[in-house]
Amino acid sequence: MWLPLLGLLLGFAIGVLAGWEVPDEYSHYLSIAILAAFDTLIGGWRAYLQRTYDETVFITGFFFNIVLAATLTFLGVHLGVDLYLAAVFAFGVRLFQNIAIIRRLWLAEWAKRRYNREKS
Amino acid sequence: MERKHRFYFAGVAAIFGMMLAVGFRTTLHPEGRDTRDIWELRADLTKEQKLEQRLLEELESYEETLRRYRREHEAGGATELEATVAKLREEAGLTEVRGSGLVLTIAPLSAAGYVGPAVATVSPELLQRLVNELNKYGAKEIAIDGERLTNRTAIRDVNGATKVGSRSVRLPVEVRAIADDADKLYSGLAVSPIRDDFAVENLELSISKPQPLVVIPPAASRPDVKYMETENGGKEEK
Repeated sequence: MWLPLLGLLLGFAIGVLAGWEVPDEYSHYLSIAILAAFDTLIGGWRAYLQRTYDETVFITGFFFNIVLAATLTFLGVHLGVDLYLAAVFAFGVRLFQNIAIIRRLWLAEWAKRRYNREKS
Repeated sequence: MERKHRFYFAGVAAIFGMMLAVGFRTTLHPEGRDTRDIWELRADLTKEQKLEQRLLEELESYEETLRRYRREHEAGGATELEATVAKLREEAGLTEVRGSGLVLTIAPLSAAGYVGPAVATVSPELLQRLVNELNKYGAKEIAIDGERLTNRTAIRDVNGATKVGSRSVRLPVEVRAIADDADKLYSGLAVSPIRDDFAVENLELSISKPQPLVVIPPAASRPDVKYMETENGGKEEK
């Protein structure tokens, strides 16, 4: 449980300390990519809690989603259609669903523990 | 989760964290560099000091008023309060003002050889520009066609007629302005391009010589107080 959090913090620290910046015109792509990555991460967590976690699916999904979202944004920019909204919508909805599932799983777990405690 | 899986998950989380950090750095730009040189810094410092001085003076005057209120309150009188009300009425433009100033007249252009359409009114934009110019050169009180300009007076177009406050303005229009230094106002207007702006709209702006006594009437309508109430909860009398 703590290892992924540690990884996240470590990555964040590296990102901050390295001082990388993306040029303004590409900041859109980065934002979409972050959203896609966040969605995959939460999806992976949900899968782990539901015991359906598959590493290959997770890792390929992570990179594939990022590339897909960035491609959609790129296409949108060149076609003059705000295609990135499609990615925002899809990832946004899934994000909410996954977080809701995680919350329910936690609630169920908590209820079970309380029941067991009262029983014993 | 197996140990290996955890490591992978942590790796992916680290990548995400890095992206997040880069994203933050990109969107939250650092503030622009301060490139002022020493003279600009000194000028800014002087400006701020003047502001501080003015604020302190203002504060002092309010404190003085407060002290007088307290004294009067103890003595049971209300003259100080009345004086304040009178001052506020003056500031709100509810009293007649006399002073040295200018009288400007806006009339259709009467240049020989003018063959354009007859102009019946003056556009609100032009009037606003004139008011801005007057304020720029130190006008204290302004009245357009007998309508006193206060902070709440609107100059606008209503169905083709120009209205100042609630009054429709028809040509010729007389604009009165009072200034502390009427000569400065006069020379300011004399060099200002505002007369050309009027000429473009086929209007002529004539500016009188500074006059020792210009009378500006009080505002016709009392400002409508909507969102303030007196302390005992009642609405302010209208």
